[in-house]
Amino acid sequence: MAVVAAPRSDQEFVSSTVVREQASLWRDGLRRLRRNRLALISAVYLILLGLVAIVALFWTPYPTSSIGVADIYSGPTSAHLLGADELGRDLLSRLMAGAQISLSVGLLSAAIVLGIGVVVGLTAGYFRGWVDSVISTVINIFYGIPALLVALLMVTVLGRSFTNVVIAISATVWMDVARLVRGQALSLREREFVEAARASGARTGKILFGHILPNALGPIIVAVTFVIPSAILFEAFLSYLGVGIPPPTPTWGAIASEGVQALRLAPHILLFPSIALSVTLLAFNFLGDGLRDAFDPRQKR
Amino acid sequence: MTRGMRNYIGQRVLLIAFTVLIVSFVVFLGIHSLPGNTFVNERVRGAGLAALLHQYGLDRPVLVQYWDFISHAVQGNFGVSIVNRGEAITPIILRELSVSAELGGAALLITIGMGITFGVIAALRQNTWVDYSLTTFAIIGYSVPSFVIASVFVLVFGIWLFDVTGGTFYYPLSWDGTYGTLIELTIPAVALGLFTSSLVARITRASMLDVIHQDYVRTARAKGLKNRVVVVRHALRNALIPVTSVLGPLIISIITGSVVIENIFGIPGLGKEFIQSILSHDYNVTVAVFTMYALLVGVANLAVDLVYTVIDPRIRY
Repeated sequence: MAVVAAPRSDQEFVSSTVVREQASLWRDGLRRLRRNRLALISAVYLILLGLVAIVALFWTPYPTSSIGVADIYSGPTSAHLLGADELGRDLLSRLMAGAQISLSVGLLSAAIVLGIGVVVGLTAGYFRGWVDSVISTVINIFYGIPALLVALLMVTVLGRSFTNVVIAISATVWMDVARLVRGQALSLREREFVEAARASGARTGKILFGHILPNALGPIIVAVTFVIPSAILFEAFLSYLGVGIPPPTPTWGAIASEGVQALRLAPHILLFPSIALSVTLLAFNFLGDGLRDAFDPRQKR
Repeated sequence: MTRGMRNYIGQRVLLIAFTVLIVSFVVFLGIHSLPGNTFVNERVRGAGLAALLHQYGLDRPVLVQYWDFISHAVQGNFGVSIVNRGEAITPIILRELSVSAELGGAALLITIGMGITFGVIAALRQNTWVDYSLTTFAIIGYSVPSFVIASVFVLVFGIWLFDVTGGTFYYPLSWDGTYGTLIELTIPAVALGLFTSSLVARITRASMLDVIHQDYVRTARAKGLKNRVVVVRHALRNALIPVTSVLGPLIISIITGSVVIENIFGIPGLGKEFIQSILSHDYNVTVAVFTMYALLVGVANLAVDLVYTVIDPRIRY
């Protein structure tokens, strides 16, 4: 892969009196990422959350949907650290399972969006002409309609389930990545190394995925990182409005919405899932910002 | 208005019409392909059901129904509600649109006012505690979902501070013909506008930092202009160009957010109707509201692009 010398800030130039050995884009980026304390803390939090989600697959303090394990609406106690909900279910157990739902929705949607975005974007950017016009028009039409409401309708039409929620989210947030990949492909296809590859008889697929894609990977990873929090937000939004993953699956949005109904009696049912959701979104945003500064130095905020 | 401008607007209007047409078609087909029908809940069977289906034209082929819908819709007639037997949809939607517009307009004002002010202050006080606290505030506003903010507002102002507010920000649960007063409006509008104003603050701060280090700003200062004049007339005007470029997405995000805010605060607007109609299977209303949303977003985006030309005269169409 081509070695790209990342532009350094003045400060770095002054401080490094010795010429550093040439670092690859990735090592350079990782070094910058390590210096970003907020991004590091976020990464640690997200790893911990991932561990909690995996643990929740096998074990939770109480079964997530067994009712009456605690007093109805009871607040935090030593036996039930986060209290109980309107059916006396243990809130901590439900939040742990909710972490698993949120993370899987986020990661799955991001993977699907990555797939769609890369294929659509590369096609539009590399082949240009009418292909590009058609794809760009479709992208513009999608930008012209409120994504969340489309997702909401899609889930209604397809039926409320985990899979359909992921499908609906992916179908409505793929444009950012596609547009970014298209732009990258448009500019990279004019570069000498692509010309060289074409001249030496490389097949189109090889040029697209072997030459253009690896060189656009930094910005693409950054963009996909930002898909995760918006997918998590979409899922919570749908569940909160009562049109997402159906009960009794404990999703953070659904628990928060149950909490709103019991606001007067037991505000903790609203507060705990809200905090979990907000902190997670915050962490993904910090991590995304950090990744952008580290791996996509050309792009300004 | 130049000729190019007129052509541009014409093209955009065509694109909007095209988008709205496609959106309404897809939504119509999707909604009508759902199993069951509105009358399932009402336990109407046999001849009674057939009569009802016939009365509302639901026994015709779906494409005929769509043609019927769209040919009336372009004349401003969205048909009748099925759940509230025979109530005309257009007047309801227009009334609700005006309520949503009141809320959304207030949120947009908060977004622009608060966002730009905080962004400029943070940029002028770069790397001080003012900057850090405003930036942190913006990041929090950017990450906390609007429904969480709204629910917490209800908890704080509606329950914990009930003695102070008397629950005044709550609209009555059913429409009583009055719009929200300024006090009633404030809390829902802030809840709706917090996310977008954080975004605006972030962008304003970044672009303001770019601008105030440029030569023409230094020149303006060297001429001895007052600081306020330099900031407002020289720096801010150019710093706002990146902000206008996100106005379109901002408006979409306010429209989306209003759906959840209206449902939480019990505001009788389009967003509440949208969710209500989905939950009660009143599909005529769902299709009508969504078509309205598509139209609204298209017009808003066009308006934003026209605002560009005012703020940045270099842009011509």
